[in-house]
Amino acid sequence: MSETLGNPANIKVLDLIDRVLGTIADTIDDGEFPEIGYYGSSKKNVNYTEEKGYISVDDKASFIDGRKVESAKTIAGLVYGLTQFKEHLEQGLSMSLRDFYYLHKVKHVQKVMKITDQSETNRLINLCERIIRHRGASVSREEFGVVSSPKGTFYGDVTVSDLSGKRLNCNSAGEYGWFISSRPFDVDIHDINIDAAVFVEKEAMGRNLIELGLPESLRIGVGSLFGQPGRNMRAWIRRLADNEVPVLILVDMSPWSLRIFSTIKSNSIELANIQGLATPQANLVGLTTDDFWGRKGMLCEIEHSLESMTNSDVKCAQQNRNIPSISQDPILNKQNEIMLKQKRKGELEAFKAFGYPLVELKKLYIRYLKTKSSEYDVKLI
Amino acid sequence: MLTTNRFSPDITELSVSAWFYRNRTIAGFDNPARSLYVSIRELVENSLDACEDERVLPDVSVLLKREDETNQGQDMLSSGPEIFELVVKDNGKGIRKDDIPVLIGKMLTGTKFILKQNRGTFGLGGSLALLYGQITTQEPIEVVTGRQDEEHGYRIVMRLDIETNQPVILKEEIIEKAPHEKGTMVSYKLQGDWIRSKKRIIDYFANTAIIVPYASLLFETPDGEVLHYDGVIDRLPVSPREMKPHPRGIDVELLKKMIGATRSRTMKAFMKNSFQRVGISIAEDFLTYSGLDAERDPSTLDQKELVTLMNALAGFDKFLPPSPKSLSPATTEVLAAGVQRLSPDFVVFKQRAPNVHEGHPFVIETGVAYGGGLDSGISVYRFANRIPLLYDERSDVTFRVVRNLNLRNYGLRKEDPIAFVMHICSTKIPYKTVGKEYIGDVDIVRKEIELGFKDCLREISEKVRRRDRVHKQRKRENRLTEYYSFMAETLTSALNRNVSSDALVGSEGGEFE
Repeated sequence: MSETLGNPANIKVLDLIDRVLGTIADTIDDGEFPEIGYYGSSKKNVNYTEEKGYISVDDKASFIDGRKVESAKTIAGLVYGLTQFKEHLEQGLSMSLRDFYYLHKVKHVQKVMKITDQSETNRLINLCERIIRHRGASVSREEFGVVSSPKGTFYGDVTVSDLSGKRLNCNSAGEYGWFISSRPFDVDIHDINIDAAVFVEKEAMGRNLIELGLPESLRIGVGSLFGQPGRNMRAWIRRLADNEVPVLILVDMSPWSLRIFSTIKSNSIELANIQGLATPQANLVGLTTDDFWGRKGMLCEIEHSLESMTNSDVKCAQQNRNIPSISQDPILNKQNEIMLKQKRKGELEAFKAFGYPLVELKKLYIRYLKTKSSEYDVKLI
Repeated sequence: MLTTNRFSPDITELSVSAWFYRNRTIAGFDNPARSLYVSIRELVENSLDACEDERVLPDVSVLLKREDETNQGQDMLSSGPEIFELVVKDNGKGIRKDDIPVLIGKMLTGTKFILKQNRGTFGLGGSLALLYGQITTQEPIEVVTGRQDEEHGYRIVMRLDIETNQPVILKEEIIEKAPHEKGTMVSYKLQGDWIRSKKRIIDYFANTAIIVPYASLLFETPDGEVLHYDGVIDRLPVSPREMKPHPRGIDVELLKKMIGATRSRTMKAFMKNSFQRVGISIAEDFLTYSGLDAERDPSTLDQKELVTLMNALAGFDKFLPPSPKSLSPATTEVLAAGVQRLSPDFVVFKQRAPNVHEGHPFVIETGVAYGGGLDSGISVYRFANRIPLLYDERSDVTFRVVRNLNLRNYGLRKEDPIAFVMHICSTKIPYKTVGKEYIGDVDIVRKEIELGFKDCLREISEKVRRRDRVHKQRKRENRLTEYYSFMAETLTSALNRNVSSDALVGSEGGEFE
């Protein structure tokens, strides 16, 4: 891992950290109270467009005034946090959000900062991302070496070198494929031999597709999101899209899954300041309301398998109306409204309700993927 | 109706002392525990009155001793009444030898028509206490007294004859004393229950020490403990003046007695001379209102006319309010000094303007103490005519007022250490019951207490707020210093250069706006 020390990205971040710490040090030395400005995550600072998803617009700045006690505490936390990032980066060691929280339990730090809840240190990291900026864009916490709960796998004929420095093919890295790097932007992609990448919300179905040999039959990559995708997974999807791989998303038919898809496609208001997390080219292949209720719906036959939406499902769908990336997206908005009307939801496991033998099931999956992706002009062999 | 000359042979005339003895529960002598407490209290108050009448800073010592010391150490709870010796000593000017039997041994009924604020709950002084002692122990009473500048004092041993209300001297002797020595010491034996009255009696001394902070009190308990309160201020309150009665609140019996005693030969002169705050013009207006002839001799009024007169006195609305000169408020200065015995952080006392209830003037003094040595939560101290009221707190109007105060309006909480002090002085305290332990919920009294407390709370709240502000400011400075020192340390080690926060938050505190 010694490579990270010489990583040009790390040198850039270390330089930024030193500059911020130096400025604060000078200010304090001069007997002045430091004041730090940043752009918060208020809706004013975020724009939504269908083409780019959420982007921060830096409209209304917030200020941390060091004369105030609570702000002084925040600045102290910031200073301490940055020195910890600096040390970790210099040593080429990453830390989790939980690690960062425990770094505040060092006795002399605890005595001053009196932090008792991880949400406080999480907020500090979020603040660091907003304050440390490079060429007008936030530096993400992964670049500070703070990596938390990376998740997601990818299987398919793609050759990469990740932070381990080793060159590997994603179709020969184990039964699930490659465990996606915590810092996909620092992964080198050497070779791509797939026509599209399918990302499946549920790990069980993703594994089934791999087991049935679909990646080989269709020349596709299959990724498992493991529910709401982590920041690393979203960045990886974006990397593939940037390399002109069509991205197909397969999720449940539920208001929650619309959110999963919209996060992949448009990012979120909360993280609008972090670039490279949105993939506007991502396509929702299923499950859609048309599959069950459309005139030529491929899943009409198993419409009976749908379950009623719970109260919280309905509430979620109602709130979706206020989420720009769903309500202003014609496809997602339509899906959401139909679900609200029908008050029923479908799950990926519904395919099993056909009761087909496995050979037939594989054919169904292939037919489904081919048909649905062709709607987006994605041709699979 | 029976008339005095038609007594049946079974009916005997009761002397005042015999009547009080038979009805002693009214005066609080209903069981050994309560009797012990009331006895001490009556004698202490007698001594305080005696000293204050002479404008002397009171110095009162009380010694309570078990007669039979062997009883000690036995099962405390099952032990019943015991015999005690009670000694009360003061530094008043002493009693002239000839006055001793009358002053100490006889229950006096007043014949003068005056109104004056005094302590004694029943106007009997300690006589009933002495009587109680004699009844329960059959032992005589000993009085030692000496007057300043006289060469010797006297020691008298006597007993009371209940039926005739006369003292009987058993022994009388002259004792040696230094010329400057003065004061009176009464000692006698009585039945009592110390274990069940201990808390009351100790509370009584603690509370009395608050309301008479100019007095030195010493109490030696039967357990050998000594409670000692030194005087903390050397100013006595202004003593009350004797006043003629106010025309309102007079009944026919009293009218008869007053007419019997007056030397005025016309109604006009009688009105002017026998009542307070009645001048010629008010007397004339009143007599016109009542329809009585101004020149009439009052002694010629018949029963029916007396009733008319009484009703007219109650109905006439042009009498001036009663004079508060007959009252002796404790004064805010004395009360504030007394409350220092609780060592609070802040004290505010307010005296209300005099007001009238049923023809008697009263003055309310209220105080609020906060913080310091006070216990958490609200405590209430009640005083009436400079004696503490210790029981039935929850029924007292003061407690009701306190309970209904909205402390949050003053930035205070119920859990804060707050003491409410109320002193009412009046020629007639509006007690609720014969026990005279709490004050009734009289509208005008409640209103005065409430306004008084609110006034105090406003000032206390300001003081507390100011202190909290200073605290907050200091805390803020401390925290800022802490944060910036921490930053300086962290930066020093991270940047390999010396960073100091001294210029920003110097050790001397620095300037913060």
